[in-house]
Formats: sequence, structure tokens, C-alpha cells
Amino acid sequence: MGNENGKTIVIGVIGSDCHAVGNKIIDYVLTENGFKVINVGVISPQEDFINAAVETNADAIIVSSLYGHGEIDCRGMRDKCKEAGIGDILLYVGGNIVVGKQKWEDVHERFQSMGFDRVYPPGTPIEHTMVEMKEDLKIN
Amino acid sequence: MELNNKKWTDDEFYGVRKQILNTWETGKGVADLEKNIEYAKSVPDHKNFAKKMEKAKNEGITLAQPRAGVALLDKHIELLRYLQDDGGADLLPSTIDAYTRLNRYDECEVGIEESRKVGRSLLNGFPGVNHGVEGCRRVLEAVNVPLEARHGTPDARLLTEIIHAAGWTSNEGGGISYNIPYAKSVSIERTIKDWQYCDRLVGIYEEAGVSINREPFGPLTGTIVPPSTSNAVAIVEALMAAEQGVKSITVGYGQCGNLIQDVAAIRALQSQCDEYLRNNGYNDCVVTTVFHQWMGGFPADEAKAFGVISNGSATAALAGATKVIVKTPHEAIGIPTKEANCEGIKTTKMTLNLLQGQQLPMSEQLKTEIAIIKAETKCMIDKLFEIGKGDLAIGAVKGFDMGVIDIPFAPSKYNFGKMMPARDNNGAVRYLKFGNIPFTKELKDYNVKKLEERGKFEGREVGFQMTVDDIFAVGKGRLVGRPE
Repeated sequence: MGNENGKTIVIGVIGSDCHAVGNKIIDYVLTENGFKVINVGVISPQEDFINAAVETNADAIIVSSLYGHGEIDCRGMRDKCKEAGIGDILLYVGGNIVVGKQKWEDVHERFQSMGFDRVYPPGTPIEHTMVEMKEDLKIN
Repeated sequence: MELNNKKWTDDEFYGVRKQILNTWETGKGVADLEKNIEYAKSVPDHKNFAKKMEKAKNEGITLAQPRAGVALLDKHIELLRYLQDDGGADLLPSTIDAYTRLNRYDECEVGIEESRKVGRSLLNGFPGVNHGVEGCRRVLEAVNVPLEARHGTPDARLLTEIIHAAGWTSNEGGGISYNIPYAKSVSIERTIKDWQYCDRLVGIYEEAGVSINREPFGPLTGTIVPPSTSNAVAIVEALMAAEQGVKSITVGYGQCGNLIQDVAAIRALQSQCDEYLRNNGYNDCVVTTVFHQWMGGFPADEAKAFGVISNGSATAALAGATKVIVKTPHEAIGIPTKEANCEGIKTTKMTLNLLQGQQLPMSEQLKTEIAIIKAETKCMIDKLFEIGKGDLAIGAVKGFDMGVIDIPFAPSKYNFGKMMPARDNNGAVRYLKFGNIPFTKELKDYNVKKLEERGKFEGREVGFQMTVDDIFAVGKGRLVGRPE
């Protein structure tokens, strides 16, 4: 199990966020579906995601945030990727990424302008993300 | 200092205290413990958490308490007053933000500053340490009911000093329950010591005549945790708190969803905690209970969310819990607006009022469920005493390492992580994989049998896919995650 499609994905929960349940399920589902999953776990700074991506030559990074501080925690991540020589890596973010109920279009735009390729609203199942990721990575 | 479950000496306590108060500038404001106690004594009885809980228990009433906290002091006060005046909250919280929980007070400063600039809270709670004792006293003085700090802080020593100095008379947390579900790499030995400090501080206030309530965090990871696992942790933390001189203890449980099992869990928790305290020589503790409305994934549809909230309120009332922690219709998307929070409280209070005076009567089913939960809990706690050679703190550290207690879906690397739960055919939470949990053969067989009933009904193998389906089921509108 794992790595049957040859693609490597770094996953984790960013910042001071300790929500582990979704993280364990994303790990389980992606692995079941043939991805090689590098899980940096909860309470992970940007550097942990990026270092793991560099070390494993990863194809994408999925950042999760459930506790509302995502807006502060995700700033500058694209620039840090560039500095690390992986400026073009696919960068996804999802979860409850801001504090409280805000207009989704605004939140989406805010994170896209931070350099995230795909931004997912609360409650998006990983199966949905996976379909779009397979498109982006050109997996049939 | 070596870890054991012994009341700290004054030398030990005041030695550590000096260092703690220097970890952030607001620590200076609480240096004079006698003055802090004097202020706490001036808090009137109706704003004392321990007294209000004991009164509710004696009267057979279930109190309602929301969660709430924002970055700025004035906004926080406005929020709490709204929940008190419009929502009718019986008890108030201050939910502490996630940076404070990791002692990152400089990041809190950034959050406070930016929240001021953009006019909305960028922190997910109230940064109590940064606001200091003056700020925290302003919060207490602005409300008319007892205040509790609710957080998830492995090292809450400075926060605890500040809130009690400010007259907040309850603190949630514990050396296990605020570590395993909230931290990745903090040892249990460390957090037990740090919470012994918090409990000893409460003991000092008690000895000076100020009642302060302590609440081990019941729901743990909030994700289909079997009742006996969370009850075992709650009782262990209650015993360790009592050793440091805590007298008012509220043990907690997070709703699993099957009515009989939920009622059984609260009843088992109350009586078994009383028993363990008595048997270990702590004869003057007042034990009350808290029931947490469903802590897992919520439906995004607000009307459906109200259904979940009402259901939890009804169960809390029928179980006879002393208080219930309230969810909101915004649960699926994160932190609620104050209006949504208020609606959650009103829904809860309405349901509690309708059921006041009624409790679920004893039945064969309920009796069996209570007996199972107690027997499972006893297996775990007694094993901790055994491997700690009679010392519960040592036993707890060893026990987590060995998987004697094993909390599902926990982020901590100090958790064994081999136990897996799933629902049975009636939605009660059972043990699917036991890991190293020291159950008797009878208890294991009972769990296996219950899960096989479900497997047979659904025509599939008993396995982890059931667990995954169960985690998302309530969000999708049902309790048991049936195959689609």
C-alpha cells in the first residue's frame, strides 16, 4: 500500500493547531488510493512542510488548519517554498482556515493571493480534494 | 524534582513559582499571593464556581455553560455579557486562544495588535496571560456569574496564577487531558508536574478559605472515545488533584450519542470517582459532573445542528449531569458569532427546562451498561496503580507508554495509539482494537460481540472503515456510519 501512483504528498496541520483527527483520515485515504504520504503531523511550522517536501521530492503540499489562525500561519508560505527551490510545488489549503463565519469568496481570494493553488472550504471531504489533485497531477 | 503523586511542599511550590512568574511580564502583577487571595475572598458567593456547582448538584439542576473568547478585552467583555444577558448562560467561560496554550505570548501580541487593526478577532480565544491580572479582573467584574478558564494548555502555570488572582474560580485541565489531545511532543511526566503546580495553587487558596473548582477535560480528543477510557482519565486526574488539596472537582464526559450509554457513563463517572476518592483517603471532596454536547463533526445545516444540540441537552438532563457545555449552530465552520453562540445556549436551556426534575429511570439495559463501563474503567486504573507500585503519577506515565490507557486520534507521540473504537449496531461506542488495554477476556468478548452484531447487520467485515464512517456520520445526519 502507498506509492502505487508514484506521487508523493506532504500533509500536516499548520501552526499551533493540534486537530489530529482529519489529519489521520487524510493520511489513511490518500495512502489507500496509492499516494505516498509524508505526514508532518499537527502543530507544524511552514518549515516542516517545506523541508519534508524538499527531502522527498514531493509533488504537492496539503496544509490543514482547523482552529482559525490559518490566516496568520499561512502567510509567506509560497515565498518560503521559492527560497527552498520548490517555488512551483502545488500548494493546497483547507479546513476552518479563518476565525468565524466569513464570506467564502473573500476567504478564497485572500488565500489564493497568498499563493495557494487550491483553497477548500470547511467540511470538504478529502475524496473531493483528491479528484482535483489527480487532475492537477495528471493521474488518471 | 522527581515525579510522584505526593502533595508538594512549600519549598517545592514557591521555588517553582519564582521562575514561573518571570516567564512573561504580566507575571509580576501576581507576585503577592496573599493579596491575590484577599481579592479572591471578595468575590461574592453567586460568582463562586465551586459553590454554584455544589448548589446545582444538591438541587438536581443542570446548568448551561457556553465556550467563548476573543482577542480584545472590551470585545471579550461585550461577548460574555451578551451570552449572560441574552443567552441566559448560568456559568461563563473564557476560552483561551491557541498561542497562549503553547505559551507563545509574543505571538499573542501580534494577534491582539492585528485584531485591533482589522476590527475582528484574529485569535481563536482570549489571551489571558497577555491581558494580565488587571484585564482578567475587569472581565470578572463585568459579569454576574462564575467564570472559568477553558483552554488546552499543557503548561498552564502562569495562566492559572493570573486567573485565580483575578477571582476566576474554576480552571479546566489536567496533566493527561490537556496534554495527549493538545500536544505533540510534551512528556506526560512534564504535564503531570505542571498540573500538580496548578492543583497545589488551588489547594493553597482552599486552605486560605477560597473555594476553587477544578475540571479535568472529559472529552479528550472528542472523537468516539469509549466512555471507560475518558472516565479512567478523569478519575486519575481527580485523584491527583485531590492529593494537592483540591476540594471541588467536576469530572467530565463527552457525548457519544447512544442515550443509554451516555447516561450510564455519567452515572458511572460520578459514583466511581466518589468511590476512588474515598478509598484513597480523600473524604471531603465535592464531585460534580459535566456533560459535553457532541464534540465531533457537526452538520453544516444550522437547523440540523440545533437537533444535535437539543439531543445533547436532553441527555445531559436525563443523565443528571451538574452542567452541560453548549455547542452552537456554527460548529461545522469553526468559531461562532456571538448571536449563534447565544442561540446554542437558548436551545440548550429550553430543553433543560422542559426536562427539569426528570431522570432516566434504571433499567436492565442501563444497569448492564453502567456495570460494563465501571469494570472496564477499573481494569485500567487498577493497572496504573499496580505498575506505579501504588503511585498513580508514576503509574500514569508508565501506563501511557505501555498503552494501558490509549486515547484514539490523539496528536501526542506519548500516546500508544493502537486502540481503535467503533460504534456497535445501536450506536454505542465499543473497543474495535484493544491495543494493550488490560481488559479481562469477558470484557473483550463483550466488545467483540457487540461489533460483530453491527458487521452482520451491515454485511461487512468489522474494521477500521467502520471507524472512519462513524467519524463523519453525525456531520452527514446520522449516528452510525452505515455503508453508502
